[in-house]
Amino acid sequence: MAKRKVITPKHVPIGLIETPLFERLNAISRAKSWTGWAGYISPLVLDTVEFEYFAIRNQATLFDISPMHKYRVTGPDAQAVLNRLVTRDVSKIRDGRVGYVMWCDEEGMLIDDGTLFRFSKTDFRLCCQESMLTWLLDVAWGYDAEIIDESDAIAAVSLQGPTSWSVLQEAGFADVATMKPFDWREVEPDIWISRTGFTGDLGYEIWVPWAKASALWDRLWAAGDHWGLRAIGFEALNMCRIEAGFIAAGVDFQPVHAAMRLHRGRTPIELGFGKMVHFDKGHFNGRRALLQQRGNCGRYALVKIDIAGFKPADGALLYHKKKKEVGFVTSGVWSPTMKCNIALAELKAPFGIDIVDDIWAEIYVNEEGKWDKRLVPVTLKDKPFFANTRARATPPRPY
Amino acid sequence: MSGNRFDAIVIGAGHNGLTAAATLAAQGKSVCVLERDGRIGGMSKTVDLDGAQVPEIAHLLYNLNPSVAKSLGLQLDTRALHTVALSPDGNHVVINDGSAVFADGSAHPDAQAFTALYVRLTKFARLLGQLADGPPPALSGGVLHVATLGELAKLGKLGWGLKRLGKKDMRELLRVVLSNAFDLVLDEISDGPLAGALTADAVRGGYAGPRSPGTVFSLMYRLGNGGTVTLPMGGMGAVANAFESVARSRGVDIRTGVQIERLVIADDRVQGVLLIDGTTLHADAVLSSAGGMQTMRIAGVASFDVEAVRRMRNLRNKGTTAKVNFVLSSTPTFTGLSAEQSAGRLLISPSARDVERAFNPAKYGEMSPAPLIEAVIPSLSDPSLAPAGTHILSAVVSYAPYALDGGWTKKARAQLLDSVIQTLDQYSPGIGALVSTSQVLTPVDIETMTGAPGGHWHHAEMGIDQILTVRPANMVSRYAFGVGGLYLCGASAHPGGDVMGAAGRNAAMQVIKDGVLG
Repeated sequence: MAKRKVITPKHVPIGLIETPLFERLNAISRAKSWTGWAGYISPLVLDTVEFEYFAIRNQATLFDISPMHKYRVTGPDAQAVLNRLVTRDVSKIRDGRVGYVMWCDEEGMLIDDGTLFRFSKTDFRLCCQESMLTWLLDVAWGYDAEIIDESDAIAAVSLQGPTSWSVLQEAGFADVATMKPFDWREVEPDIWISRTGFTGDLGYEIWVPWAKASALWDRLWAAGDHWGLRAIGFEALNMCRIEAGFIAAGVDFQPVHAAMRLHRGRTPIELGFGKMVHFDKGHFNGRRALLQQRGNCGRYALVKIDIAGFKPADGALLYHKKKKEVGFVTSGVWSPTMKCNIALAELKAPFGIDIVDDIWAEIYVNEEGKWDKRLVPVTLKDKPFFANTRARATPPRPY
Repeated sequence: MSGNRFDAIVIGAGHNGLTAAATLAAQGKSVCVLERDGRIGGMSKTVDLDGAQVPEIAHLLYNLNPSVAKSLGLQLDTRALHTVALSPDGNHVVINDGSAVFADGSAHPDAQAFTALYVRLTKFARLLGQLADGPPPALSGGVLHVATLGELAKLGKLGWGLKRLGKKDMRELLRVVLSNAFDLVLDEISDGPLAGALTADAVRGGYAGPRSPGTVFSLMYRLGNGGTVTLPMGGMGAVANAFESVARSRGVDIRTGVQIERLVIADDRVQGVLLIDGTTLHADAVLSSAGGMQTMRIAGVASFDVEAVRRMRNLRNKGTTAKVNFVLSSTPTFTGLSAEQSAGRLLISPSARDVERAFNPAKYGEMSPAPLIEAVIPSLSDPSLAPAGTHILSAVVSYAPYALDGGWTKKARAQLLDSVIQTLDQYSPGIGALVSTSQVLTPVDIETMTGAPGGHWHHAEMGIDQILTVRPANMVSRYAFGVGGLYLCGASAHPGGDVMGAAGRNAAMQVIKDGVLG
């Protein structure tokens, strides 16, 4: 009888992909609590969210941001392409600087936000949450510029917290002392550091080729030992970004290209970023639509609020005079540092713009099995909840 | 008007450009028309071919918009032509004003069904035709907006018209309006030259076969003004000249042989036009009868939102129709046709099936081996067009795809010419020997000569996805084209192509309505 050939079935791999730092993260993960981020495995929590949160605010922390989408825009028209894409004037961002940018569709609705790293007038890197290659190719059509998706070529870690500068010093990156917020430079061949982050605190992001990520991690990890360095997951980071008043795609606004329902888009003006829309720089995508909203006449207002009590109010409905429903909380958390119940909330105009008083949040509380509803007062805030001078001090101080 | 400052500048001196200019001039506006070619007329020109006056591209008037003709006071001497659907077996069908008989005078078995279908289609077409006399409806302002009320009134009028059709006809219109000409026609009459003629008329000029959806609409579009086909005395150039003389009499400054470098735009508003010779012409509005993408290019892609550019990049405008002009050394005779019958519009589209088959090769970048032909011998009606004894034969030939595999080489053009002569020869034996001069214009030539994108008659396919509120594309259907003061006024704008003038007139009216001229 002829021997049957044994075929080992092999299918296309399914499920999440490991980042170059997964092995390191998995080795120290007690919680084994993972999430998917742009197709990659990313930690929600590694130890406990409380430990990780306090490490961000009191020590130093590492977060793997390799899954972030990264696009390189190069060529003679690179700056023109980016100025066509985003609402702010890219020509005002100098070489070796980073800018927070937003970009819109033709109706002025936010497609995504991100950070723009400028190497030179002809060379930029754009980092963002959403997959953006086809959009960037369309934006660049007719221009002399090349778009390269660097998402799986460049890895990065975010080093955040008051001792983050000390960790870098310890790791041998002495050059970093003179870096101001939003500076970025190549500190060693193939290692770029930017003084950026998503925590509102002192912090840096370190960018390396994919294959060099684990070596970088090891170097920082060894240096961080007596500076209290911990690895963190998304949950602790999310608390800090709400404290800093930063908005998150898919949470505080719906990236309009991904929204299925009508009227889910929001403009930068409605999200409180009117100052980032530079009407005087020439045409950019959505300019004509945004002009209609000039002078703060958006349909909605995304605001920072302080909610009475201590029950985190994520998703709570908001009322005017306890009666009229005027909005809802998009991100809410109890802030352990500020000791208040903070949130970002979307209000329907004119609430949040002309009418800011007598706003109430409807909160559901569960008291040992018994649900109760409470209306608690809401105070609008115009400054980030967490702001500390250490975040901006140059050179930073060792803590 | 001397000097270089105008209220409005119109790009292109085709019938739409001239209509737009004349319409604005009638409102007391100073207008300058810029034409790249040395002569006005665009697709409706008469040119000299070996001493004979041939209609270069367009050769008949189907659809001249009555509102345009009336408001311009066009003086045109035209002659209504009958149509002959040629049959390979010699039993040609003569179609005249909705009735069909065999060329020998005997009754056509489908005559009654044809007339009923024709009457119904022209009735529907007339109803839909009222949409041509203004921008497509838009309700985006919200139902409480003042501007929306006018739109609602227009829709109401259409709705009332629909209602007045009666239940049976209204149902029928809604049943067929988005469907295909093949099914519609063959549901009523048997396949043959008569069905071939109707289905070929439904697709002529377009990238579609009779089985393509939306071809009932394009047939109705063709029948928009009752379906009468007329031959202008003095050739198509006389039509262009009529438009021109109205425009000139209203003080329009028409400049030919002028090349545009780019539009001058400041603060998101059109300021004028920079010519290649360095001259700047100033105006508060620029109306472009060029295609959408060409207009974007001269304005600069940077002035448009990414989505708008994407829509123009993806506009369907694959030209499929070539023009072949002949000078014949003597009078051609068609087997089975009287001399008087030969003077009509001669259609070679033997059956609906043949029409569909002729389209198939075009899909794969090939020309039809058995092309569809709409031929006319204008010199039979107007002997002044050709030297005594000689004649001109003008043929619109489908399908000759714009993007022919291997390109429109000398060989490919010879092949096209050959297949046209061979096809004509089947109906007029020996006609090839009469040809003293010929001229072949492929869609590529037509694009080069007139700027029509893809060499497409209508600048953008008249498909369901590119008409009315989405002509040429979503967000730009009401003539305003991104930059303040920039408007589309050509065939790519609503209602579309044919020597019609409605797009030009509508665009001019919109410019006035928008108040951009102060």
